[in-house]
Order: sequence, then structure tokens, then C-alpha cells
Amino acid sequence: MATTATISISSDIAPGFGGITESMTLTQAGNITDIDSTSGFQIRKLTTTGAVDLITMANELVEPKDSVAAKIFIRNIGYQGTIDKSVGVTIGVNAEPIGLLYGGDWMMMPLTCVDADDITVNPATDDTVVIEYVMFYEEA
Amino acid sequence: MATTTAAVTLTSDLLSDNMSVSASTTCMKAGTTADGLDQMEYAYVNLVTGDEYDLIAATPTASKASKLYLKNHSIDETYFVAITQGTQAIGKLYAGDWMFIPADFHDAAGEIAITANGGTNKICYALFHEGITLNASA
Repeated sequence: MATTATISISSDIAPGFGGITESMTLTQAGNITDIDSTSGFQIRKLTTTGAVDLITMANELVEPKDSVAAKIFIRNIGYQGTIDKSVGVTIGVNAEPIGLLYGGDWMMMPLTCVDADDITVNPATDDTVVIEYVMFYEEA
Repeated sequence: MATTTAAVTLTSDLLSDNMSVSASTTCMKAGTTADGLDQMEYAYVNLVTGDEYDLIAATPTASKASKLYLKNHSIDETYFVAITQGTQAIGKLYAGDWMFIPADFHDAAGEIAITANGGTNKICYALFHEGITLNASA
């Protein structure tokens, strides 16, 4: 079965836009061998503002291989069933802000897995929010 | 209100039991629960090997709720594009890979740039946003 991800985007912004539906099988870099390692599916509860590591690359129990085909899925699931779409959590790589994940928003992003390129999260407010995530990577 | 929804289904058999995650979100403007993103840019480009290019030609409004979808439609599995934001390497998208991220565009260093490797990569991207600064005509 491998690891697969399918995205479907629909929008009525532009007349005639037929939407996007695409699938990918997560493979190792440069070949069609399935990707072989994962962080497992995890959640992280955040209660105060301030950037913290969601993933510290150097601390992974299985060392990820650098600069290949790793991916991460992250989703802001709110807290205890309450999802506030007006407040977000800034996702960053090595302190560089990528963007804000508002309540309910999700993202799928490639990663370098280089030790310095930790994944950071920084809530916009002190309201409790939960982030769920899973990283897929190649073992070094 | 314009409505843009993005859904994902993620499955994996790497764990002891199969993992399956489904999520869907309606893409709203920053800080609002009532007004959806209302502008978009959708393109397909062939990117030759070597040079780095800014993916987005105009400058989207910074620190908003823009969403960027990008897929590498190349066939050869050795082809890939390297994604950077400013000087920060984000990762690589090999043939067939896609990504979907919130894009901050917080300053000049927040621009998304891509570099093709292996050969001419075929890239499809869509940016959903709430405003851009157009480049003045020369």
C-alpha cells in the first residue's frame, strides 16, 4: 500500500477553474522505492505564544537522511472540538516563518531534515491549540 | 463569499496498523471566519535546469492567509525541484510530488523560489490569496 497522499482543491474564485485532484506516492529520492520511515502520528498542545520546536531534527530517534524526499503533514485541530479559523499558528523552518495555519487548516510540505532545519510552531495567542503532525523520511 | 476548499487524504502502512487521515479546510482570509480568499493565480510552466526562479511573479500581500499548491508533473523520478524561501531551503519535490502550504510572503525573503534539477521539470502551481501588488508596466 505504501504511503500515499491525495489532494483535492475546489474553488469558485475563477470562472472555469475545474479544481485540482492529484495523488502522490511518497518515495525515496530519485527512485520509485517507497519511503521507509516515519515519526508516527503525533499531537502537540500549545498554550502560550512563543516559537517552539515541533520537530528537532537532531533529536529524532531514527536519524533522517538529509536533503532528500522527506515530507511533513501538519494540521491545526483547535482544542477540544473548538476550531477558531481566525487565529493561527505560524509554522517555521529554522526560524524562517513559512505561514500561518489557521484553525482547521492543514499543510503538506517537503523537508530537508538537515539538523538546523527544525520545524517550529508559534501560536498567535495564548489560547490552547493542538497541532497534529506526521513526518515521513528516509533513514540515514 | 468566494469559497475555496482543500482536502487531503493521507494513508500509510509504515506503522503497525494502517494510518488514514482525512482533512478538509475552507481557505479564509486572514483573521476572519466569514470571508474566503478571493483571488488566485494558476499556472503550468516548464522549468529548465540550473537557474533559480521566483515562483510568484507579483508580490502577494504579506502575512496574510495565502495558500500555495505546487506539483512537479515531471515523469522521470530522478528529476526534482528544490524549494527555497529567501535563503532558507525548504525541501525537494521529486517527479509526482506535490505540496500545499500557507505562504506568508512576509518580506523579500519570504518569496518562494524553485530550482530545477535533472532536466526540464514540469511544474503546476496555484496560489490562492487576498491581494497582490502588481508590477508597474515598463
